[in-house]
Amino acid sequence: MITQMKKRQQQTQLKQQSWFQQLITQSETATGLDVNWLQQLRSDAKRSIAASPALNRQLESWRYSRVETLFKDNFDPLYGNDFYINNLNIKDYLLGSFASYRLVFVNGRYAACLSDTSELPEGVTLGSMNQAINLSVDKSTESLQRNFSQNIQTTDNVFNTLNFVLFNDGVYLHIKDAVQLDLPIEIIYLNTNQAQAENYHGSMIQTRNVISLEAASSAVLVERFLHLNDDGQYNESRNNEAANNKKYFFTNVSEIKLADNAKLKHYRLQDESREAYHLSNLLVTQQQSSRYETTNLAFGGAWARTDYKVDFKAEKAQCDLSGLYAVGDQQLVDFHLDVLHNVPSCRSAEKFKGIIYGKGRAIFDGRILVENQAQHTDAALTNDNLLLVNNAEVSTKPQLEIYADDVKCSHGTTVGRLDKQQIFYMRSRGIAEAEARKILCQGFAVDIIDEIELTELRENIASRLLHSLNSDVSG
Amino acid sequence: MSLLTIKNLQTKVEDKQILNGLDLTVNAGEVHAIMGPNGSGKSTFSYLLAGRDGYEAVQGEVLLNNENLLDMSAEQRAHKGVFLAMQYPVELPGVNNMVFIREALNANRRARGEAELDTVEFLKTLREKAALLQLDEKLLKRNVNAGFSGGEKKRNEILQMAMLEPKLAILDETDSGLDIDALRIIAEGVNTLRSADRAIILVTHYQRLLDYIQPDFVHVLVNGRIVRSGDKQLAKDLEEKGYNWITQEAAA
Repeated sequence: MITQMKKRQQQTQLKQQSWFQQLITQSETATGLDVNWLQQLRSDAKRSIAASPALNRQLESWRYSRVETLFKDNFDPLYGNDFYINNLNIKDYLLGSFASYRLVFVNGRYAACLSDTSELPEGVTLGSMNQAINLSVDKSTESLQRNFSQNIQTTDNVFNTLNFVLFNDGVYLHIKDAVQLDLPIEIIYLNTNQAQAENYHGSMIQTRNVISLEAASSAVLVERFLHLNDDGQYNESRNNEAANNKKYFFTNVSEIKLADNAKLKHYRLQDESREAYHLSNLLVTQQQSSRYETTNLAFGGAWARTDYKVDFKAEKAQCDLSGLYAVGDQQLVDFHLDVLHNVPSCRSAEKFKGIIYGKGRAIFDGRILVENQAQHTDAALTNDNLLLVNNAEVSTKPQLEIYADDVKCSHGTTVGRLDKQQIFYMRSRGIAEAEARKILCQGFAVDIIDEIELTELRENIASRLLHSLNSDVSG
Repeated sequence: MSLLTIKNLQTKVEDKQILNGLDLTVNAGEVHAIMGPNGSGKSTFSYLLAGRDGYEAVQGEVLLNNENLLDMSAEQRAHKGVFLAMQYPVELPGVNNMVFIREALNANRRARGEAELDTVEFLKTLREKAALLQLDEKLLKRNVNAGFSGGEKKRNEILQMAMLEPKLAILDETDSGLDIDALRIIAEGVNTLRSADRAIILVTHYQRLLDYIQPDFVHVLVNGRIVRSGDKQLAKDLEEKGYNWITQEAAA
């Protein structure tokens, strides 16, 4: 038994090595070929990938995530072509009359013709990372170089490094001192598998974002990770199966920097295809009295993981991380939150809720580290899960590491089922059982959804949740 | 034809025989009180009529308007006009009270092939009935029973009854945990719901509710059977003498 397990692990490790090697080789075509500083940083990154340890369940941060499923398919890096951009109707993906400054990425490639940033106010740079690197928009080179080099030195996540080596585009957002954006910024990522060769299993799509808000500026950012619907499918002469067209691996790394008193409200909707792999990595650094608020909604993907790392660099900064996930058959959703209280008097709150149905699986790992100098820290974490059927599964792990002695910290996690008495109560009023279950699930999720201040987005999320519940709540 | 006919009803809950051949006939327009000592099967009887899981008849029949009630799901029974005001109304976190009542009302209307009530009309009726029960309008906007006091929960039950307009309302220990003022208000609310085409079954341990809601018939339930029936005087006798004399008689 043990030798068999070892053998399997070795096989997985070999697959990982060969896949990473293949990715590195194919990265030669990524953006910035003639940008020396980028090439230099990328060759460092490639060396660190080659030296990175095997990913497996023995690693605490990958213990429940089933990382080996990522190595089953030969995802190839994809740099997109214009076919999809020219053949999709962006209206299909918009939130009604939602007014925003909009960037659209199709298979990781900026689509200028689908984007709309024409009315951006003075002091805001919003656009394609590819352009920021190659054309040095708004003196972007210096700050990007600084960001990337810090990030590459400190990351312990090989997928973050891979993303850096492979990325071709992403969001570059810079907001100058004291600018308060009047409308939300909306980023739409539309992904699909772009099959090219017979032995080709899936597209690997990546975007890399750098978002920085200077002192006392504020903005609302909405990111939606979606898959191309069938109308936008690439119509190849070869008869592709529909499912195959939806299998891709999307990785996104966002570096978010908030200067003194800056405020960012950040909504993220992950609704990738049910065959897709999604990996998001958010690296947030906060200066004094800055405020970061994020709400994550996760409904899609076959395998979807989001990692947050929030680093308080100065006092009185605050962050609120919240989220709602609802997954069913053949789905795994995973949130890893890492909040580092290095300085005194910061506040952090994490509040995540999950509904798991069918054979769905959820992982929540919330770590709060309070260093001994971080007195007067206020940190709270909750994770509540609702399992609708016996086969649903959740692993929830709050980790509080507290080295300071004058702090206010709390955590609570729950895993429960729908209450039979509540269901009977509703049925006795004439509400059918399936409907009663749905209403209770909506009631469970309502406080996360009600926190969404943008009406069109809130309504979209409420109906998206209902869609999931309608298809799978009956179990 | 009677509204409700119960014949030789027997039930087991977790292998324990609770009802032992209960017979009862209720006509539209009547108010029946079912009284009995603790453990006599009063709550089981209420749950059984409402169709709660785990409460199933092993013998006997229950007909509502000549239809077999025991074959119906809880929601079907509600659609046919059965309503149970619960002894311990549950809280529904995150479910808005007003939305819940409207959802319930429309579910019943849909099942009966009636059009859904429009929002304006619904709100108007809801506010009127809440005022009658002196239920603070704020409670309509809160989640169902969440943070309600005992009295508020009971009033919310009667409000639902008033909105759903059942054919057969079963009030399970509605008087328990109420102070005298709340009891009076609720009783007045129930009295306004008395009508020629509606029957009410009051399940209660104490006589005091019956001072406010005058029953047409009083039945005493002992060991899962109705051992004595009478008019409201029977309730007064029970108040005076306790349940012992009847239990002893029943045992004899």
